[in-house]
Amino acid sequence: MRLNIIEVARRLELPPGTVERWIRQGRIPIQKIGHDCIFEAAALEKWARNHHLCFTITDGNPDKKTEETGAGDHDSLLSAMKRGQVFYHITGEGVQAVLTAAVEKLPDLSHPKKTILLEKLLEREHLTSTGIGNGIAMPHPRTQPSDIVVEPMVSTFFLAQPVDYNAIDDQPVSVLFLLLSPNVKSHLHLLSRLSFCVRDDAFVSFLKSVPDRDPFFRKVADFEEKLDKAEYGRSQ
Amino acid sequence: MLKIFMAWHYPAQWKIFRSDDRLLLILIGIIVGICSGLAAFLLNYSLVSLLHWLHPYRHLWWAFVLPAIGAAMSSLFLEKIVNEGAGHGVPEVIYSVSRHGGLMRFRSSFSRLIASCLTIGSGGSAGPEAPVVMSGGAIGSNIAQFFELNDRQRITLVGCGAAGAIASIFNAPVAAMVFAMEVILGEWSSVHIVPIAIASVAGAEISRLFQGNQIAFSHRQFHIDFLDIMASFGLAVLTAAASILLTRMLRKMGGVSRKVPMPIWGRAAVGGCAVGLLGIFLPDVLGEGYDAIRAMIEGLYAPGIMVVAIGVLAKILATSLTLGWGGSGGIFAPALVIGSFVGVTYHRLLALILPSVPWVNEGCYALLGMAGLISGLLQAPLTGMFLIFEITGSYEVMLPLIIVSALSTTICHSFEPASFYLRDLVERGQLLRPRTDAKVLADLTVRELLEKDCIVVRPNMLLREFMHVVQKSRRNYYPVEDEKNGRFLGMIHFDDIRPYIFNTIMYDTVLVDQVMDTFVDTVQLDDDLKDVLQKMDAKGLYSMPVISNGCFVGMISKATILDRYRKELMVQTSL
Repeated sequence: MRLNIIEVARRLELPPGTVERWIRQGRIPIQKIGHDCIFEAAALEKWARNHHLCFTITDGNPDKKTEETGAGDHDSLLSAMKRGQVFYHITGEGVQAVLTAAVEKLPDLSHPKKTILLEKLLEREHLTSTGIGNGIAMPHPRTQPSDIVVEPMVSTFFLAQPVDYNAIDDQPVSVLFLLLSPNVKSHLHLLSRLSFCVRDDAFVSFLKSVPDRDPFFRKVADFEEKLDKAEYGRSQ
Repeated sequence: MLKIFMAWHYPAQWKIFRSDDRLLLILIGIIVGICSGLAAFLLNYSLVSLLHWLHPYRHLWWAFVLPAIGAAMSSLFLEKIVNEGAGHGVPEVIYSVSRHGGLMRFRSSFSRLIASCLTIGSGGSAGPEAPVVMSGGAIGSNIAQFFELNDRQRITLVGCGAAGAIASIFNAPVAAMVFAMEVILGEWSSVHIVPIAIASVAGAEISRLFQGNQIAFSHRQFHIDFLDIMASFGLAVLTAAASILLTRMLRKMGGVSRKVPMPIWGRAAVGGCAVGLLGIFLPDVLGEGYDAIRAMIEGLYAPGIMVVAIGVLAKILATSLTLGWGGSGGIFAPALVIGSFVGVTYHRLLALILPSVPWVNEGCYALLGMAGLISGLLQAPLTGMFLIFEITGSYEVMLPLIIVSALSTTICHSFEPASFYLRDLVERGQLLRPRTDAKVLADLTVRELLEKDCIVVRPNMLLREFMHVVQKSRRNYYPVEDEKNGRFLGMIHFDDIRPYIFNTIMYDTVLVDQVMDTFVDTVQLDDDLKDVLQKMDAKGLYSMPVISNGCFVGMISKATILDRYRKELMVQTSL
């Protein structure tokens, strides 16, 4: 097999300088011709195993790559919200009733899954309320159910009447953001983006007006743009 | 045509050798053994001819200047023509093996041969073995370079060259093998031992081809009693004392001669003159001295006990005058002569004190003395044992031989922690035996350990901006760089800003250069890892910035060092 030194070094997860030195010192079963390394894949794999080094003949480490890309470009809040949709006039008395009504509205979910999800949401509410104040609550399961959703989504529910939600500021809640993510990372990402929006007084009073879908999405898009700008500024 | 030549030129790339190069090393080892055996034979032959040629002049009154002329010429040759330092060359071989993967210059393969031939042939007290070892090693190294072999293979071939040379000059293949492993390579592994054994055989065969299968020193039958074995303990102490004396004398002489305001060849001439004057009174101290050894082993050495005892001191003095003042040659042969003098003195002393005991003849004690001196001087007991066993062919002396060799090595080791060959290297911190901490640290470079995941910040950044950087970063260290010329200014550790993290008022009032640490210990890109670790240990640091041309290039941390050190150790220890 013939590869260049950089490739070999990457697959061994070592700096190229080390691999080059090992070849020169004759410690590794690789022959070098110019910048190319010639080796027998099986022999090198065996050697690496014997020396507790990792060597994969396939290009790079696929797990790592997806993880990195996953962390790199998360979904935007807007697309998650569009996936989750907006629902109006949710009725119910008390936490359990509104959540039951809300989960019932969720699209693309089979009945048994909805039952499981509702249980999980109530379990989380039992721990501490997700009512974060200003009449807003963010119900979400404690562990991220990868079998329920494949893509992160945020569903918005406007309640018909404010409900006592045991929120931290004791105010009744009139808006629910239901967060569902396949993994913890995207959950935290969405949570931090959403909390950026709801911290803003303007956004809260905008929510109080129970906006239609389109103006609501536009507002969210505006806020995300602001957030992106701030983050872009940091990385500069 | 060119293609065929290229294929021959890179045998390491042939398919049969690619996975396992043992066969290749054995084949090339044979070539190396033959070449170094030839070199050894050549030196031996020219020494004998030079002795014959100079023999008529030895009795003239001005003969004492002969060693001076020889030593001066050898010194001039080394200094002016081939541009190499004086000395016997074994430390150079060991250093090149441990540090440069056995890389040696081509000229080393003949320079010491000529220089030592001039020194010894003219009467200087030195031996031809060490120069031959250097030549053999250089031959092995250059053949390896010709075939474009890697460091490990080249080291094996340097060992092959040394073994072939010793095997040829003493006609002692086993001792040669043991010497190459014990002294030159410093490790015992099957990868080395097979080619080296083959090379020893080749070297010994060359010597037998030209000179016949003769043992250097033949002997008579010995009948060793229990009392002789007991007596060998005393001999071990004496030989150890003689080795220590020789080692220290050589060193002292080197120190004294360096203070003399003279060119190097002038010093060699002075030393040679002194040896020549000494030789007027005790001609046995001149040259390699094998004739004296032969006489002593035969039990035919005529002079009385006082002369022999003085002979020990005189030979030590002559050897240190020759080698310490700039002559060229080894200490192998002088050590053998001194050893046999010591042995004979001890035997005669015993016979004087306890005349009623039927001691074995003095030839046997001469042999034991030689083994004791070689073992003590080189601190290589196996080499001493096998050499004496082989060059005399007497298995009967094995028991006292083991006692004398082992004990002499032990005693010498407690007085001189490093052997004669290694002492200079140890003092310069250049002794890097395989599979040791020093070797692993010397092989790893700062460049290979760089961590480049640090985010660089600017000195006029506000704390607020800096907090954003902190949010992004995975590290606790932030190097600060000058905006204009990119020079490294200092470091910020996360601890430096920890008190202000939650104080938002300070976000817009504090600048980065107000919190940065400007007095940071830094590492240069080409620093030795040993020094870097020493610095870290001394100051209790776990990470240090690496600077090149005043610019920050990365961090080096103990965590990465441990990780890579372990990998390196695993790769180096399991061959």
